[in-house]
Amino acid sequence: MSRTCLWGLLLTLTLLPARSGAAGLPAVESLADQIDQAVHTRLEAAGVQPAGPLDDERFLRRLMLDLAGRVPTLAEREAFLSDESPDKRTAWVEQLVASPDFAMHLRNELDLQLLARLKTDNDWREYLLEATRANRGWDDLFREIMLPERLREGEQGPAAFLRERVRDLDDLTNDTAVLFFGVNIGCAKCHDHPLVSDWEQRHYYGMASFFQRTYRTKTGLLAERFDGRIKFKTVVGDELEASFMFLDGAATYEPPVELSDERRKELDELVRKAQREDDAEPPRPEFSPRAELVRMALAPTGPDYFSRNMVNRTWARLMGQGLVEPLDQMHSENPPSHPELLDALAKDFATSGYDLKRLIHAMVLSETYARDSRITGGAEPPAADLFAVAIPRPLTPRQLSLSLLVATANPETMPGTASGDEWEKKRDELENRANSFATRVEIPGENFQVSVDEALLFSNGDRVAGDYLRDAGDRLVRHLTSLEADDDVAIVATQVVLSRSPAPEEQSRIADYLSARSDRRVEAIQQVVWALMTSPEFRFNH
Amino acid sequence: MNSSLKLARADKWNQSDILFCVARPNDSDRLFVGSSDFGVYEFDLSAEKPERVRLEGEQHQSYVTGLAVAGPMLISGSYDGQLIWWDLAEQRSTRVVPAHDRWIRRVIASPDQTRIISVADDMLCKVWDVATGELLTQFSDHGEKTPHHYPSMLYAVAASPDGRFLATGDRVGHVAIWNADSYEKVGEVETPVMYTWDPRQRRHSIGGIRSLAFSADGTQLAVGGMGKVGNIDHLGGPSRLEVFEWSSGTRRFEVEDDKKKGLIEQIVWHPSGDWLLGAGGDHKGFLNIYDMHSGELVTQESSDGHVHGLVADAALENLVTAGHNRLERWTIAAG
Amino acid sequence: MKRKAWCGSADHPVSRRGFLGAAAAGTAFAADMTVLDALKQPALAEELKWQQKRVILLWLAGGASQLETWDPKPGVETGGPFRTIQTTVPGLHISELLPQQSERMQQTAVIRSLNTKIADHGGGYRLMETGRLPEPGVAFPHLGAILARELGRIDSHVPDHVSMYTSTEGRRKGTAGFLGARYNPMFLTENMMPENIRRLEAISEADHQDRAALRDFFAERFSRTVDSAAVASHGTAYERVRGLMASDRLFDISEEPQAMRDKYGPTQFGEQCLIARRLVEAGVPFVKVARAWWDSHGQNFETHRELCADLDHCMSALMDDLADRGLLENTLVITLGEFGRTPRINGSLGRDHFARAWSCTLTGCGIKGGAVYGKTDDKGETVVDGEIGAADLFATIFAAVGIDYEKEYMLGSRPIPIADFGATPVEEVLA
Repeated sequence: MSRTCLWGLLLTLTLLPARSGAAGLPAVESLADQIDQAVHTRLEAAGVQPAGPLDDERFLRRLMLDLAGRVPTLAEREAFLSDESPDKRTAWVEQLVASPDFAMHLRNELDLQLLARLKTDNDWREYLLEATRANRGWDDLFREIMLPERLREGEQGPAAFLRERVRDLDDLTNDTAVLFFGVNIGCAKCHDHPLVSDWEQRHYYGMASFFQRTYRTKTGLLAERFDGRIKFKTVVGDELEASFMFLDGAATYEPPVELSDERRKELDELVRKAQREDDAEPPRPEFSPRAELVRMALAPTGPDYFSRNMVNRTWARLMGQGLVEPLDQMHSENPPSHPELLDALAKDFATSGYDLKRLIHAMVLSETYARDSRITGGAEPPAADLFAVAIPRPLTPRQLSLSLLVATANPETMPGTASGDEWEKKRDELENRANSFATRVEIPGENFQVSVDEALLFSNGDRVAGDYLRDAGDRLVRHLTSLEADDDVAIVATQVVLSRSPAPEEQSRIADYLSARSDRRVEAIQQVVWALMTSPEFRFNH
Repeated sequence: MNSSLKLARADKWNQSDILFCVARPNDSDRLFVGSSDFGVYEFDLSAEKPERVRLEGEQHQSYVTGLAVAGPMLISGSYDGQLIWWDLAEQRSTRVVPAHDRWIRRVIASPDQTRIISVADDMLCKVWDVATGELLTQFSDHGEKTPHHYPSMLYAVAASPDGRFLATGDRVGHVAIWNADSYEKVGEVETPVMYTWDPRQRRHSIGGIRSLAFSADGTQLAVGGMGKVGNIDHLGGPSRLEVFEWSSGTRRFEVEDDKKKGLIEQIVWHPSGDWLLGAGGDHKGFLNIYDMHSGELVTQESSDGHVHGLVADAALENLVTAGHNRLERWTIAAG
Repeated sequence: MKRKAWCGSADHPVSRRGFLGAAAAGTAFAADMTVLDALKQPALAEELKWQQKRVILLWLAGGASQLETWDPKPGVETGGPFRTIQTTVPGLHISELLPQQSERMQQTAVIRSLNTKIADHGGGYRLMETGRLPEPGVAFPHLGAILARELGRIDSHVPDHVSMYTSTEGRRKGTAGFLGARYNPMFLTENMMPENIRRLEAISEADHQDRAALRDFFAERFSRTVDSAAVASHGTAYERVRGLMASDRLFDISEEPQAMRDKYGPTQFGEQCLIARRLVEAGVPFVKVARAWWDSHGQNFETHRELCADLDHCMSALMDDLADRGLLENTLVITLGEFGRTPRINGSLGRDHFARAWSCTLTGCGIKGGAVYGKTDDKGETVVDGEIGAADLFATIFAAVGIDYEKEYMLGSRPIPIADFGATPVEEVLA
């Protein structure tokens, strides 16, 4: 028994985060410069002229969507545009990463990355929010998500990632590899990966070994068995036993434990009870394969997949595509577009204590991030992986749903961060209200296409008409109806929905539309707002 | 009195096929069974190790679902739509009648054993002369289609022991009672719960009235089937018995049992009218004894196989059940 | 793989604009290609002819029993009580539960030798809908999505992938996987009218159109400034709205004369088969009509009495109707499920899941009617001749409708053949 306690203590100690002194790290601005340098070097070599920076209006929209998860409010837009300080962009970035919106949006993005395809889980979302609010390191989250029963005992939230997949060892193994390490090794299950020489069967089963003993108790918590090893058959028919092997090929060995047959039977029975009964406590083995995975992943002997993956995914989220594409194909035969940059950012990320906020902050400060997405002329556009031009990105379901709520609200009721502390509560409310519509929108993936279902939903759904376009005091439509001049309606509508001022042709087009419907002005205004919010300009982050 | 009845299995003979019906001429030890292998067999209970002997001559071309003893003859009915007359002494067929267009579900003899009555999925009840094999009459009060537009089935027919009445019962829970001389309809009762139609999950039906039995005095009619089913992929509903004073249409009892689920395939009244026996099953079998004064299920025994057919002596003290992969003998005695 | 939003070639703009010609005027049913001038261009006409193939998948959800349908074994212990009937194809007998089909078997090819090994609903469904085993991390498209893409028109004004599944048991929408949401099915469940296809009362027809035009105005100004396939897909989706709304009539069988409705019969499956005919007639390349739920673990014979009656009647009505309209030669009708049922009859007179020796049928386009491929043993327990799997069936389906079954999609740099590696079509059932 005392041995168990000591081992448990050692286990916990090895798992404690190793934080390096933040003081020793370069400032975010210089990290941003590094990004720009690396991108510039390739651009020069390719002889490609990058697009210029975004104007203020469009920069603000992009920045708000990426840091706050929503379009700017009219008040925020006006505040930003009228701000005359030369470093206002840097200052706004600084404010935004410290805002309540930031934590909620990052929570939404992590939720999307790790779980969203499977289902919405409030405990899980609460758990993530607690982490993003405190800016906890990505390694902390990884530890707790991989070992919920040891590090967050009794809590349902952090266990969600494993729990959703625990019934299928393949899903558990491959999803972890894809989402935490950027590696899709599924193909290596039946044979050495046909296309990627890094991944052989033993890598697949090596990874699977870390999860093979995991099971779910009757009460929905995770636990591990005392023994069990995976055996697999090679294509030539040899039967091999898998070792606990991480992606870099390093393997770990389980300390041999003497268990009498009786004790073994006892433990098996305890495990079975935990799976069947509500009250039964699952027994806790000293050797935890999942703890080994965490240990090895955070102290790799080969490439630091853990850091590189999160850097790559964050880059992809903000820049439109990863430094490695596809995001789950990190291997030696698929080099990054900017290898040294990925190395440098990954190293910084690890040294900073896996600080997500810092990483995001640095990226949005770069010139690369702030580039225009518009292409000019009929010439062939440059290769996307040069990042010469910003890549339009579809809004995620929550971004869209939240933005619709903001964009169709009466601007007087939607002050945004300008209102200080009160905003947090309001934003929280918006999150709740955004839940149900978000479920009707498709999660963007590779080769994203808008489905005609979405177009029909917006065109004929009574939800859209009855909620967003409603003529009521808290809605934009009512506010616009109070404006007498058609031109004013055109200007305000475009500013609120598309976060920019209309071009003259656009303004007159809207004004004409309205004046042709003076007998049904409210409907006409609803239709104008509809046309703006169903434009791809609203639907995408660009 | 009833609660102290003891139902006990006396013998079991495993079979490799499914036995759907069993008949026992004159309470003798010579039993006859109808099989899923299309054969009609004699089975001598008195033998040390009883062996089946197939009756010879014309054979059925599908499951033998009904057997009735009429004098020296045994008449069998099958999914092939035919009725075959078998001479019990010769142990061979003597007559084949192409009786119905569709699958024959049950065959009974009139109490005086001069007529044979068959019901089939052509929804007709037909009456035959035992001696000549002639069709005497046919009648129906049962729709060919269910209310959901699917082909219906006519599963059950019973005769009152005094010979005055007949009853027919179908898939959708409709029972018609007939005057056994004029063949006019004289009554009806409905047991719609026995027909489960699932419009939402699986979109088809299950169940139906599977058994009917008149009390000795002919005033009561017991109807057997299965109660409402949630998952119609299986016989997962409670067994269901309803007992009516049929001429007034009053229902005396409805009894559902969840412990042993499935269809009640056979019902036999005790001559006193104090209790009755229902037998059937799901993937296994059951025998239930119901008290006809209290309307309660008082005794229950199980079998490892679904009970399809049953034959009992007049005093309802000895019975033989035929079913899925087995034949079993039981006794009922006062506890 | 990045698809460009525009391309420099002369052909592309013509094809797109050409198709939009009549539809832009807002006429409903006229999306039917025959009224467009574009047909006068011979190259397009050829393309269109090729694109006129359609597929109707009658999905027998839950696993129909091959022993009570296409591969009966009367008189053996596994055969059950039903007998067989001689069909119009000499030597071919099918279950007596399918009398109307027996008179039409000269149009149908039966495959009796499927051995797909997976006998659970989820796995069997996935296998038979994608034609291959799943791979973690790859979203393979379902048959309907592939056929929608290969047989449909890029900016079609009728839906190109419709799937009807009314029962709740086993209901799965199906997915276009890596082919993208464009090819996801229009999925009809309790309602035979697709969701959101009807204009709300609060807006007039004229305003609905004008509003869409206003949207298009803003949308085009934006779209042409960026290079993004995703943004372009947004435009395509909205372009299709008016046409799809007009195609709402396709789902309304009250437009059919009563005599026609009577031919299909009063069951829900009949109504859906009639809708399927209307859809393919209007050019919808793929329609799946699911008839759930065949999973007769208990009372297999009673259940098949009902369900086979439905299948027999409705499928026959559909075949006759398609033939009458001259559509059958260009329409492939498939009957298929997740798996078959066990020869062994269980204690509830049921049959359980069985994927080792089961059947499917193909009728119409590209099929040699009357062909019978493959054999099972006397009891129906194993395949003794002509064993095929899901991939081979897919290759056969593709070949029947004129698609190169060895065609590959590129998923990143990885080629993915539309029928799994090593698949070969069953030549014996192809015309």
